[in-house]
Amino acid sequence: MAKVSVLNVAVLENPSPFHSPFRFEISFECNEALADDLEWKIIYVGSAESEEFDQILDSVLVGPVPAGRHMFVFQADAPNPSLIPETDAVGVTVVLITCTYHGQEFIRVGYYVNNEYPNPELRENPPLKPDFSQLQRNILASNPRVTRFHINWDNNTDRLEAIENHDPALGCGFPLSCTPIKGLGLPGCIPGLLPENSMDCI
Amino acid sequence: MSPVLQEDDEKDENVPKMLCQMDNHLACVNCVRWSNSGMYLASGGDDKLIMVWKRATYIGPSTVFGSSGKLANVEQWRCVSILRSHSGDVMDVAWSPHDAWLASCSVDNTVVIWNAVKFPEILATLRGHSGLVKGLTWDPVGKYIASQADDRSLKVWRTLDWQLETSITKPFDECGGTTHVLRLSWSPDGHYLVSAHAMNNSGPTAQIIEREGWKTNMDFVGHRKAVTVVKFNPKIFKKKQKNGSSAKPSCPYCCCAVGSKDRSLSVWLTCLKRPLVVIHELFDKSIMDISWTLNGLGILVCSMDGSVAFLDFSQDELGDPLSEEEKSRIHQSTYGKSLAIMTETQLSTAVIENPEMLKYQRRQQQQQLDQKGSAARETGSATSVAGVVNGESLEDIRKNLLKKQVETRTADGRRRITPLCIAQLDTGDFSTAFFNSIPLSGSLAGTMLTSHSSPQLLPLDPNTPVPFGTSKPSTEPVAATGTRPAGDSVSKDSVNAASAPAAPSPSILTTPSKIEPMKAFDSRFTERSKATPGAPALAGLTPTAMERLKEQSLVKELRPRDVLESSSDSDEKVPVAKPSSLSKRKLELEVETVEKKKKGRPRKDSRLMPMSLSVQSPAALTAEKDAVCLSVPAAALKLPMPGPQRAFTLQVSSDPSMYIEVENEVTAVGGIKLSRLKCSREGKEWETVLTSRILTAAGSCDVVCVACEKRMLSVFSTCGRRLLPPILLPSPISTLHCTGSYVMALTATATLSVWDVHRQIVVVKEESLHSILAGSDMTVSQILLTQHGIPVMNLSDGKAYCFNPSLSAWNLVSDKQDSLAQCADFRSSLPPQDAMLCSGPLAIVQGRASTSGRQAARLFSVPHMVQQETTLAYLESQVAAALTLRSSHEYRHWLLLYVRYLVNEGFEYRLREICKDLLGPVHSSTGSQWESTVVGLRKRDLLKELLPVIGQNLRFQRLFTECQEQLDILRDK
Repeated sequence: MAKVSVLNVAVLENPSPFHSPFRFEISFECNEALADDLEWKIIYVGSAESEEFDQILDSVLVGPVPAGRHMFVFQADAPNPSLIPETDAVGVTVVLITCTYHGQEFIRVGYYVNNEYPNPELRENPPLKPDFSQLQRNILASNPRVTRFHINWDNNTDRLEAIENHDPALGCGFPLSCTPIKGLGLPGCIPGLLPENSMDCI
Repeated sequence: MSPVLQEDDEKDENVPKMLCQMDNHLACVNCVRWSNSGMYLASGGDDKLIMVWKRATYIGPSTVFGSSGKLANVEQWRCVSILRSHSGDVMDVAWSPHDAWLASCSVDNTVVIWNAVKFPEILATLRGHSGLVKGLTWDPVGKYIASQADDRSLKVWRTLDWQLETSITKPFDECGGTTHVLRLSWSPDGHYLVSAHAMNNSGPTAQIIEREGWKTNMDFVGHRKAVTVVKFNPKIFKKKQKNGSSAKPSCPYCCCAVGSKDRSLSVWLTCLKRPLVVIHELFDKSIMDISWTLNGLGILVCSMDGSVAFLDFSQDELGDPLSEEEKSRIHQSTYGKSLAIMTETQLSTAVIENPEMLKYQRRQQQQQLDQKGSAARETGSATSVAGVVNGESLEDIRKNLLKKQVETRTADGRRRITPLCIAQLDTGDFSTAFFNSIPLSGSLAGTMLTSHSSPQLLPLDPNTPVPFGTSKPSTEPVAATGTRPAGDSVSKDSVNAASAPAAPSPSILTTPSKIEPMKAFDSRFTERSKATPGAPALAGLTPTAMERLKEQSLVKELRPRDVLESSSDSDEKVPVAKPSSLSKRKLELEVETVEKKKKGRPRKDSRLMPMSLSVQSPAALTAEKDAVCLSVPAAALKLPMPGPQRAFTLQVSSDPSMYIEVENEVTAVGGIKLSRLKCSREGKEWETVLTSRILTAAGSCDVVCVACEKRMLSVFSTCGRRLLPPILLPSPISTLHCTGSYVMALTATATLSVWDVHRQIVVVKEESLHSILAGSDMTVSQILLTQHGIPVMNLSDGKAYCFNPSLSAWNLVSDKQDSLAQCADFRSSLPPQDAMLCSGPLAIVQGRASTSGRQAARLFSVPHMVQQETTLAYLESQVAAALTLRSSHEYRHWLLLYVRYLVNEGFEYRLREICKDLLGPVHSSTGSQWESTVVGLRKRDLLKELLPVIGQNLRFQRLFTECQEQLDILRDK
């Protein structure tokens, strides 16, 4: 059973200009004091087509975590526009918040992000080279996509947990590595790829 | 249930349908069971885990983050314990009656018994099945647990020692093919156990097993495929009395639902030969589980096809359910359930008739609350400080969170955020961390309670987003969680169990609970016996002859223990043989904790002393017979006598340190040899001379006496003044003893005399030991003289007699082979604190055998009636023995125990007699024979002490009131 469960993620300052930092207020509950820190990451998916454009915006350690409810604000700088393919700069993409414990990812929260020009003129006739200073970022805060993974919470890798880690459901598309993966790509294929509350399906 | 029962409620959107979804299990869940109290839910699944859930009381409805809004959990159930032990899928879980234990069974072929009061403690793992264990059921009285497995056997285990009672295989021999589950069930009256999947003439049946002799003569027949689930209705029914019909009392009967792989369900009444109802093809797949509603009129049945069916019965169909009280009366008459097992609800139905009683009960409750309150205050004050510090609304916190957030850099330059703790866990119960580390105690429970119920949550704004919800005030009464486990979970049977989870005591019901694991008791007890309290250890010093060391080595083994035991009572002066040199050192090692360091001189002397002699242990002395030069008059009995020695030293006491030194034939005055007696007490010495050789000596703080040759006994004061002219003994001395002003002489012809030197009277006059030593090779293994001058003889056969001067007869006060002591079980009446802390002559005489007796009691399963009787008999004999020994402290202890037992088991007549005797006549009359004191205790004071005990059982409220009133009258006089 997961020792940490995320209770809520509130998206702060939304919508905001493209260059302003991301801010998420994360509250979570821990039912047993953790020996080590949690590692949180914000990953910005630059292009739905390829993982190579994923940017880890930031990664922080959170700790110590005693039993109880906790909250913190996770702030990360805006993505580097130069790493984003020009064709993908405007439109819908995804931002991921992941949390790992002992290098094992146990939760992944994905938000759709819509980058568009608030200026109707620009919207009608977008410049060929995206003008990031004019872009507005709008996170679809009301509809987070949450995927939970079973991990080994104890230091001693006991047999039972080890088996769980090879859960077929996990093996089939959500490797436990922390490397950014294409969890959320094209909006159209998202429901298939990332079933809501995938745990329920296991 | 209302949306299930009523269509209107089902359609009403405001009536929540699903209350909570718990998705913590990692694999499919095979079984869920509510505890009897309804407070906990246990679930077991293929992930090998059992989870115990408890409702978190004050968070409102919330959604699981990330799930769509309609899946809101109306109630919050939080996993409070995860029980890990099974190495395979958990197939069934079962709470014992009164929720003292939780049992689980698994495909790993085992059944595990968990301590439900102290998860995740495992009390026992029952091994014996050779196949997947697929069903469990507890005997409603809590004496047995039964399990059924794929190995074609049904096994019944005793809860007393968690051993196999019986294994039933015959009805299952033909069983082929497997069912997913084998949920068996025990009838609520305890008479029948009904198995799942059995075969009779190649037809599937549900086998009925009778409790009496585990006979398998009957079965429920009719299902076309294997029976998967059997579940008895929790109620016992009786025939509905129809108007006009003869009021013939009909036998109460039980009702049982049987579910099968053939997708049908049958409901049976034990009074009918045919099923009450059969529903065919209720589902598309096999029935998986059945659950009756609490009122016994509804059944929920679930199937492998994923659906649940609800069946509704009327009282006309099933009969009139017996009330819980009637049910427990049936149990009581059949199995002799004691009051201790009575549920609190039953107690609370008794009407309190008297304001005094009410006051008393209130007072007790108040005390409980006070204690809780004080615990609450302690934590409360701590938390309130914290509350002021961050005394801002959640909104404020959220606004400033980023600024306030503590951010550091780790050594490798990474950002590290310390999260802000916004709330404690809100289970209203213990987190797993608590379970692991801290033993439960009343105060702790209180502390934990407060940490959950006190408003230390930051004030929550009702407008805050969903997951935080609105803070709902704790609806659960504060007392409920803390005391419950102690109160009603400790059943009489758990008391007997080897690893009973809690220290059982009737007082627990009313006093603030102190839940202590049995271990604590045990360790405390052993500690005590290891290091006997700082009582001045008395070691009489009678050195042993060097050449006899070998012979003595055997005795030596025993002696240190003797020392420990006897020294547990500071008042009793039991001279204990103290071998010199080598053996002495050994002995000292063992008694170190007890004995104060002796001053250098006497010890040196005793080491230098080449000659020594043991008086204490006649057994050892038998070897000396040859050395005795004096002729003994011919008698049937001949006790060993000490031989004359040149010199010896004897330690009388270590605090104040007192020694007696004897030197025989030291000075010759005109050809006459004199013996010298030297006594040193706290540095002050005196000397005196005697004309004949001193054979043995003894002393107490008040007197010193020596026995000489020619059967002379001389007595001196502590300052060396001769108190009496020499007493002429009827025969040569064997053993000499002093306690206080009493002197006891046991002669070689086995006659015993005790004198009170101060009052100059005889207490026991030349009493023969013939009656107690008669007929066999028995020897006296220990001699004791109590403070009140009562001699006690411990014999080699384990019996101990004391001489009762007023009756002029020997009384048997202890018998190590006493079967009563072995069967007596009054554990439930032991006060929690001073459980074993009673010491006195009786304890010395009986040694620790009394405890082992109670340990042994758990090994025998005795019918309750028999146990009650033996316990009563044992307790009565203990009270009487303490009285005879005039040991007031012990008398009080045993009397209290006895009364507590009487109260628990509800023996009114004896209780009344005791009270009457203690109270005495209220109006003094001249002809009254009544003594106001007993062994130095005022009887009415004793009664006052007993009253609160009596008041614990509402059944005795009239007795309580009577005594209380009469005591008040007496006080006013």
